Amino acid sequence: MPHCTPETLALAALREPLPAVDDAHLAGCARCQAEVASLQRGVDALAVPQLAAPGPAVPPPPAVWSAIAAATGVTATPRPDVVAAAVPAAPVAPPPVPPPPLPPPPAPATVTTLRPRRSRLLLAAAAALVVGAGIGAGAVALGDRDDDGLTVAAAALDPLEESGASGEARVLERGDGTRTLRLDLTAADLEDGFYEVWLIDEAVEDMYSLGVVQGGGEVTLEVPPGVDLTEFPVVDVSVEPLDGDPVHSGVSVARGVLA
Amino acid sequence: MSSHAGPTGHRPEPDDAEVGRRFAAGEEQALAWAYERFAGQVHGMAVRAFGPGPDAEDVTQQTFISAWTGRAGYRPEQGPLPAWLVGVCRHKIADTWARRDRQRRTAEAAVAQAQSAPATAGPLVDSAVADRVLLLGELDLLGQPQRGIIELAFFEDLTHAQIAARTGLPLGTVKSHIRRTLERLRTRLEVDDAALHA
Repeated sequence: MPHCTPETLALAALREPLPAVDDAHLAGCARCQAEVASLQRGVDALAVPQLAAPGPAVPPPPAVWSAIAAATGVTATPRPDVVAAAVPAAPVAPPPVPPPPLPPPPAPATVTTLRPRRSRLLLAAAAALVVGAGIGAGAVALGDRDDDGLTVAAAALDPLEESGASGEARVLERGDGTRTLRLDLTAADLEDGFYEVWLIDEAVEDMYSLGVVQGGGEVTLEVPPGVDLTEFPVVDVSVEPLDGDPVHSGVSVARGVLA
Repeated sequence: MSSHAGPTGHRPEPDDAEVGRRFAAGEEQALAWAYERFAGQVHGMAVRAFGPGPDAEDVTQQTFISAWTGRAGYRPEQGPLPAWLVGVCRHKIADTWARRDRQRRTAEAAVAQAQSAPATAGPLVDSAVADRVLLLGELDLLGQPQRGIIELAFFEDLTHAQIAARTGLPLGTVKSHIRRTLERLRTRLEVDDAALHA
């Protein structure tokens, strides 16, 4: 059987489906396989979701334009309504200008061995946050008076990765300043494991666990005193296996951003 | 991209192509227009890569600053301005990954030294991180239609048949361009490897 053509091997490196005859040959030919592998290193480096063509647009916060104007000295300005479109509807402190430097390098592995696993998994899911950020903001009316206090922030939770889960979260502040998160989750029942509710920072690095919620149920959870919701605005629902590991599993089914 | 008839009805708004030409010509208003129209796309990419927050904002900011200071490198006749901005944004994302990787290795080296750990087989370089920076630079050197073809394959996940349909180029032409570009990227990596181990 003849070897695959160089063009066919290039398509194989791009992981395109091949004609059956080429597939059959490639499965048994070490030489052609090696050629595909050598061409694939470039594919693997560049054909990653983070570099793909733009997905949903996300308006940058106003500080971004300020920094561009300062760095370029350009005095023309975009229409104010465009720049301001990114300002959250809720009374959230404006972001600092200029943006803070990069986060410090991770602490030595001996201190937080669980951390890299968690962050990596969560970052993969962070992309889906974009959807939630757009839809969630303002979807729930603020300022509603409730038996448990005043609604000070709210978020619609949108499904991640076609999980089908969705929900609504609102933060209620009582007269004494204590806060609760009321979450109404619509999600399939789990045979093993449970749904856990988290407040996560925007970098998807740090988080607080608030507690457990049933799919198809409403739950009221205490927000730890002192947690700044503008720093931890992401309400995340994860599926946690029954493994006794207190760390976020990295499997999130619904998210929204408090506004 | 088509609806920017804002409430400022009396201000004439040029189309995207005109914005691109004025951007290349260094007209300051064109930077503001480009930001109005394309910052959301660029920031969307940055947020997809890093999540919302300072890293994404830094990428978006650096993309527009670099695009403006490097506007001499933009050729309106070779493609629309948003596509070029997206290319600049890819570089900034890859640069950020590389910087984080360096910081991580520096931190690890410092820890190893502090613990007087025996030198391991060298710091764990994430080769994909370095490859990305290198290969994005190589893509910039490609002419058309090679560059457009490989970008459709890499970044829009199109098959060669879809690329042929999209570009109107014959299937065989698309396939041979893909082959040559992948070879070129491979060669670039081999040269780099050789330099590393020289």
